[in-house]
Amino acid sequence: MTNLPDPIRQSPSVTVHFCTADRRYKPLDSIAVRYEVDLSPGQMVRAVERSIVWYTEGKGEEDIGVHFFERLTDRATAQAMSGSFGGRLPASPLSYEGVIVKIRWCVRVRLFFDAGRDFVSEHVFDLGSVPAAAFPLRS
Amino acid sequence: MRLPRFFSKKRGHRRTGSQVWGSVGEALFHAALVVAGVAFGGLLVTGIAVPEWRINHDFVESRGTVVGRGLARRSTGADGASWQPSIRLRYVVGAETLEAWAFDGPRETDRSRALERLDRTRLGEERICWYDPAKPADVVISRGYNWWMWALTLLLPGALLAFGGAGLFRSLGRWGRSEERQAAAGLRPRDSLADEPTLTHGHPGVPSCDDLVNSPGTILRYRLPIESPESWNLLGLGLFAALWNAVVVLLAVNAGLDLLGGRIDWLLLAVLVPFVVVGVAGVVAFTRSLVLATAVGTTQLEISAHPLRPGGTYEALLAQGGSGAFRELEMSLELEERATFRQGTDTRTERLVVWKSPLGSWQGLQLTPGTRFEARATIHVPATAMHSFASEHNAVNWRIVIRGRPARWPAFTRAFPVVVFPPAAGDPAA
Repeated sequence: MTNLPDPIRQSPSVTVHFCTADRRYKPLDSIAVRYEVDLSPGQMVRAVERSIVWYTEGKGEEDIGVHFFERLTDRATAQAMSGSFGGRLPASPLSYEGVIVKIRWCVRVRLFFDAGRDFVSEHVFDLGSVPAAAFPLRS
Repeated sequence: MRLPRFFSKKRGHRRTGSQVWGSVGEALFHAALVVAGVAFGGLLVTGIAVPEWRINHDFVESRGTVVGRGLARRSTGADGASWQPSIRLRYVVGAETLEAWAFDGPRETDRSRALERLDRTRLGEERICWYDPAKPADVVISRGYNWWMWALTLLLPGALLAFGGAGLFRSLGRWGRSEERQAAAGLRPRDSLADEPTLTHGHPGVPSCDDLVNSPGTILRYRLPIESPESWNLLGLGLFAALWNAVVVLLAVNAGLDLLGGRIDWLLLAVLVPFVVVGVAGVVAFTRSLVLATAVGTTQLEISAHPLRPGGTYEALLAQGGSGAFRELEMSLELEERATFRQGTDTRTERLVVWKSPLGSWQGLQLTPGTRFEARATIHVPATAMHSFASEHNAVNWRIVIRGRPARWPAFTRAFPVVVFPPAAGDPAA
């Protein structure tokens, strides 16, 4: 038996609460997000980045678009164990579950620790209600 | 301390290189360019620019007497050499009389020309000279600037410094920044091989349709531009055939000159034969594609409105020109996904049609020259349809596709891109 620290226990946890229960929004809707951070003992946060982004997934290289981005470097604010942010969502691109191209919207909370490492927590939500593409062809 | 991993898992299902090591490699590459630019620039400045500047500004003018002459030989390779006329000058520096060799004009690769130039200088004649006050034994008999050398001094190291410096600045700007922060600041690395889409203002990720609405239709509002892969194939085949056969002509001329001179270069002939075969095949393929592209006539498509909206209904007019019989002509609305990815050093693009709706089909057509077949169709965009989307490496494209099967020619496909906007605010489809 070794006494190495358990990496899972050392990872912080970030809980995000959306303003809608089903995490589904229409274009131009307002979104409000509240998050809570649970740090392991001894972990010190020097900065927090909060963002609302879309990214592509699938066969192609990943593309990303930032709708909202905020970096908190004030130590007192960064070390606060909770926070909230939000805004008005854009008209596009809508969430899309294609075959080789997928578009996902998500909220990210990224914590930067004093030790130099960072930890990101990503929480996906839907913008619009486009049905998933099907393959083989469906007319 | 824990080193970053060389490989990390990308979203999707492929394993790709580590971003951290990639950034380190990119920064090192650009830093190496900067170092090379500084070193190369330093060598050129100290070896060429500074000495030339000193000759024109610091050297002291004097008069000298030619007391000797000769050719300076410099080896330029295994057997080659260059020759530079040189004269030995006697000149006075303060209270001292010195003698030193000075080059007289540029180098010559032809020794007889160098000798001819040297003969123009007579022993005992007086020449203006300039000597280095810090080292009076260094003397020259001409001054001025070699502007080509100065341009080279600035251009090559300047390009290395500009390219390397800009890349290093970008790499350092991205260092330690999250991908969201990079994207928000516009610092994400750009893929030089990927297309940068033109987007619609106010609709992030939706491609612009400006190029699709600048041509009015004859009956309906807009005439859509064609996006035919056949045109690109034709252009590619034409370029290939032209370039390949240019090489063939060069080789054939050389072989012909050899034959006229009574020599036969068997190696050249052996190379020429397969080149001629490929060249002829290229011309045949191009001619065939050209005939196919022009024989079936042009296809035109007009539409009643643009851009399209989910839930919207539009009218389309198909016009097919040409002559002869068509077994079938069909029109459909299609949704195509396009993904661009790197595979090793290649950039590949995969396309997949994920939705298709037939708009019309016409059989047994007989076209006559001077007239065109016209048919109308109704386009209905589903209320829950995905809008057109374009980013650097991914796209969701809507297009109206015409597929034809002429009786005497191979089948053809012609596509007309359209842009579908997201549902308007307040639209129940939103």
